[in-house]
Amino acid sequence: METIIEMKDIVKVFPPNVVALDDVTTDFRKGEIHAIVGENGAGKSTLMKVLYGLEPRNDGKILYRGQFVHFKDPGEAIAAGIGMVHQEILLIQEYTIWQNIVLGIEPAGFLGTLNQAQAQRNVQAKIDEFKFNLNADDLVKDISVAAKQKVEILKLLYRNVEVLILDEPTAVLTPQEIPQLFTELKRLRDSGKTILFISHHLDEVLDISDRITVMRKGKKIATVDASETNKEDLARMMVGRDVLFLSAREEKRPGPVVFSIENLSYIDGNQHKRLEGLNLQVHSGEIVGVAGVEGNGQLELVNCIMGLSQPATGHMAVNGKELTRAEILERRKFISFVSQDRSKMGASVKASITDNTMMTHHRLNPRFTHWKGFLLDYKYSRQFTHEIEEQFGVSMGSMDAPFKSLSGGNQQKVILGRELLLDTPFLLLDQPTRGLDVGSIEYVHEVILKMRSQDRAILLISADLEELFRISDRIVVMHRGKIVADLPIEKTNVEQVGYLMLEGKDKEDAKEVR
Amino acid sequence: MRKKFVSGILGILVALFIGAVVMLVQGYDPIATYGALFSYSLGGLYPLSTTLRNSVPLILTGLSASIAFASGPVNLGQPGQFLIGALFATVGGLYIHLPAVLEIPVLILLALIGGALWSGVAAMMRKWFSMDEFITTLMLNIIADFFTYWAISYPFFDQTAYSPMTPQIDKAGWLPEFGNFNTNVIVMVIAFVVVWFIFSRMTAGYEWRLTGQNSIFARLGGCNIDKNYVTVMLLTGALAGLAGGLIVMAGPHRFIKDLGANYAWNGVMIAMVANNGLVGTVLYGLFFSSLQSGALGMELITAVPSEFISVLQAVIVLVIVAGRGLLDIWLDRSLVKRKARERAI
Repeated sequence: METIIEMKDIVKVFPPNVVALDDVTTDFRKGEIHAIVGENGAGKSTLMKVLYGLEPRNDGKILYRGQFVHFKDPGEAIAAGIGMVHQEILLIQEYTIWQNIVLGIEPAGFLGTLNQAQAQRNVQAKIDEFKFNLNADDLVKDISVAAKQKVEILKLLYRNVEVLILDEPTAVLTPQEIPQLFTELKRLRDSGKTILFISHHLDEVLDISDRITVMRKGKKIATVDASETNKEDLARMMVGRDVLFLSAREEKRPGPVVFSIENLSYIDGNQHKRLEGLNLQVHSGEIVGVAGVEGNGQLELVNCIMGLSQPATGHMAVNGKELTRAEILERRKFISFVSQDRSKMGASVKASITDNTMMTHHRLNPRFTHWKGFLLDYKYSRQFTHEIEEQFGVSMGSMDAPFKSLSGGNQQKVILGRELLLDTPFLLLDQPTRGLDVGSIEYVHEVILKMRSQDRAILLISADLEELFRISDRIVVMHRGKIVADLPIEKTNVEQVGYLMLEGKDKEDAKEVR
Repeated sequence: MRKKFVSGILGILVALFIGAVVMLVQGYDPIATYGALFSYSLGGLYPLSTTLRNSVPLILTGLSASIAFASGPVNLGQPGQFLIGALFATVGGLYIHLPAVLEIPVLILLALIGGALWSGVAAMMRKWFSMDEFITTLMLNIIADFFTYWAISYPFFDQTAYSPMTPQIDKAGWLPEFGNFNTNVIVMVIAFVVVWFIFSRMTAGYEWRLTGQNSIFARLGGCNIDKNYVTVMLLTGALAGLAGGLIVMAGPHRFIKDLGANYAWNGVMIAMVANNGLVGTVLYGLFFSSLQSGALGMELITAVPSEFISVLQAVIVLVIVAGRGLLDIWLDRSLVKRKARERAI
């Protein structure tokens, strides 16, 4: 098979000094499905965006059909025959399918009026040509997510694209819809299109692709034929070591209840019920993992616990102290909080590292202030920052440097240090390893387990099942604002929790476990 | 800090150069013009003292805007707060008669209260009716403008005058002068030291700064954002009010029509140029004051009209604000290039 795209020595640096692509060289062949796999932040999406002209590259060459190309924007890439379908659906909901598809290249009739009949006919012809089973006259808002994704693909096919880039297309689909998408992608491949497929689901990748490129930390590790590899090999290449699917916990009997919520419900500004009758307890020395597809109420739960939102019904208490309607400062005496988004909730990136470490402490710990809390003791807060630096192994230039000058892993260490040294009985950790590299993830896990051995009660929200199974004692599953399962780790497995996350109920035959 | 200093000096030099080009195009001699400008603002004791004295309202309204913007509230009500503060001090000076050691502090206090009252109205409107201070402070400026105009035309009108103005305040309320040095500068320095200390060393200032940078983080961290908002509004209003009061006490010693001129808007502009830094606000305030003080001398000696200074000010603002962004982009780009080169080898 002939090579259609060659990417040579691609380098991409995000300011100030994050190397997203580190000398990546790879090639794609005409008429293949080529998967690009890697962990979050490995550079898969960036590589594709560079190819597609969405991100300028800092160095390297791209050859398309034997010609050097340099697309300045996606429009040029599409005109040349390379198109990308993004994770989010970018369609106009109020328009019909054909209106969405011809948008931007409408067939013009008399005096530039839109030739509706012809546009509609053209689109239906394309739909039939690729056997997409859609009706061009349907409104986009009335069709399923899977159908919307097909419309996105059609938009590109209508523009005669030869190379289709799909960014994690299965992330928005239900398990039943995935095989159908794959059948369609295979049909496209057989008609001569090249499909580049970004994913981190290894099973999917092995199922659909002809070749697989593995990326790790901005580097290309290998390109292999799908028929000559397996899941374990791919995982090892992705992570850079053998992946332990084993638990890292030591046996430990949990103590008394520390954190409890009872019948907690939350209704948002649009009168939608976002949380419904949640009951949950976390004991001291216990890690409870919250699993769920993003957007099933995790954010609302965090906001209710932290006091950013007021629940409609229910109670929350830590160590028997009622906190349901408490001031945030009062809650912080009992709750340490690591947010999923460091720059939005976890820190002020413009402020100095010291300014970031003393937050909350400046109100709760009298050592940080003089004059009854009015005057700050900067000397002490610098000493405290130094303590975090030592204890959590942060590498920082100067503690007066802005927080944003730290790398992601070091930022998270500083935040963990600040929160854990609050010495509260309960820890709320919302995706504490999101966007971190493998080494930092392992470190964060170690710290969490250490807190468990110090008898703290820990609620860990994570989108990563592997993480949950690695360190939790118990897993609760959230689905559409409800807790649909509360399972001890020994009595469940990834398949069962995965199914619960998607369906909200148990598969009949999954109940008998391993 | 050093980077800011360098970019500020560079910006001013570039702006002066652009100004020189404008003058050349119009057929004026730039060197003679700048010479006149700076000799009438900095060359000698008398020009220097004029520059210092005129810098006080600029710096105080500038500090008001800097602290507000850096802490979150978009208080654009300095002109109104300035006028109400001036009116409070004037009325106090008309009816309160004390020895100078007491009269001056009382009038200063009244000016602070007047300004705080006016910004407090905006703060309450936000608290009770969730009205954005960005709008309400601007509206209150207009109300203050006409309210003070009415006040000096009717209830406090000087019957012997031909245009709207109040009588002179009690002589005890006049700020003493030493030679040509007016003590309004001393009041300004004290005000600066106090707000700098609050902003940089006290718990409240820490919370204001962090709230201004990322309010959700500060809120989750346990800061009482609502209370801080009200405090910042009151403090920044008081600073603008103080500027107004000092104008009356140092200058005409009465409230005359158009007393506020453009001081407060210039203050807001200075805050923007200084990127809401307190020390920067003082330095830029002195510099802008020297331009304005030198303008008259420049007009006297050369044919360049004093309006040219408005052009120069605008150019300086644009060059410095744009330059700040540009410098960051350049630094980022050169870092990226270096990194990319390392990787490519």
